[in-house]
Amino acid sequence: MKTNSRVSRFVLAGAIVAIAVAQPTPVLAQTAAERSSGANNSVQWSVQVDKVDPGNANLEASFQIAIYENLLTELSKTKRFRQVFRDGDRNALDTSDLLILKTVVQKYSPGNETRRAVTTVSGATKLTVRSQLCTTNGAIILDHAVNGNVRFMGSNLRATHNLARNVAKTIKGLSFPEPSLSVPAQSGEL
Amino acid sequence: MTCTFLTRKQTTVASFRAPRPALGLVALLIWCSAVAFAQNVSPSTNPPLSIRATHVLGFESAANNANGTLSFRDNTLQFQQAGKAPVEIGVASIQDAFLGGQSKQIGGLPMTLGKAAVPYGGGRVVSLFAHKKYDTLTLQYLDRNGGIHGAILQLRQGQGQILKNELVARGVRVIDTEPETLSLTSSGVTK
Repeated sequence: MKTNSRVSRFVLAGAIVAIAVAQPTPVLAQTAAERSSGANNSVQWSVQVDKVDPGNANLEASFQIAIYENLLTELSKTKRFRQVFRDGDRNALDTSDLLILKTVVQKYSPGNETRRAVTTVSGATKLTVRSQLCTTNGAIILDHAVNGNVRFMGSNLRATHNLARNVAKTIKGLSFPEPSLSVPAQSGEL
Repeated sequence: MTCTFLTRKQTTVASFRAPRPALGLVALLIWCSAVAFAQNVSPSTNPPLSIRATHVLGFESAANNANGTLSFRDNTLQFQQAGKAPVEIGVASIQDAFLGGQSKQIGGLPMTLGKAAVPYGGGRVVSLFAHKKYDTLTLQYLDRNGGIHGAILQLRQGQGQILKNELVARGVRVIDTEPETLSLTSSGVTK
């Protein structure tokens, strides 16, 4: 009797362990499959980064260029695009599945590095831009307001790096449509 | 008597002959120095421009915040880092150049950490004086495929104007942006 109960306990524990080990496998496999399909889906797209539109903000030329160059760098790092084109690149004209990233500056507060270092609480450089990712036929895939600030350490231009990183992070978390389809805009603020 | 005269004559002739090589030597020296002076003077009228600069960002084959030398060679603007191949931009491909200024804290990360370590907020007082003004040159240029590139270069104060003059002489449109002005008052820092 004792032997039977021991065997049954052992079998039960074994079954529990087997279920516990076996259960996550399909889930993990499913996630990996989703991930790979999503990645494949996005890798079909290329992106062209347009020049930064300063809008009504009195943005310095160095900031415009820094945002543009940092966006190109950060978008390349995401590895979600087949190619990242510059504004005006003739090679982009031959690309079929092309997304266009438009950046319009909404708010810009010029900061001061010395003021930041002396007071800590003031002198922050603040940037807010509206990022739009759209297809060549005008369908908007992303419409987000993104911030980039420098509050404590670093030069004023570091705000552009932070901004570009935030834009890239937003785009990285985006699910892309099939190249032939278009999706409604996902708007919000980061 | 005759004998004495002859000796005197010989001596006189010898004394007249002796300065001739010296005169020739002096003339040669004057000519050499004149040539050397002319060689020294002619380049100083049009010296090749070479400016120390820090590449903030933009050039693909140069690291960010790398130090180097800016110079013009034929119709290209070169950024040369020590021991590395130069970055070259065709002057004709430069669409616009913007000259500005900024004030930055000096010393980088070590200085920042040092200031943070000073007790009773003494680092803030150091920060008040540990800043330096720089000129910044922002270039917007095209690559072979027509793609727009941008690059930002940081120069010592005053060097931006020299580079601007050179760029303008080569037909580049240079736009002056208002430099960041910073003045120190007894109550703190005002912009």
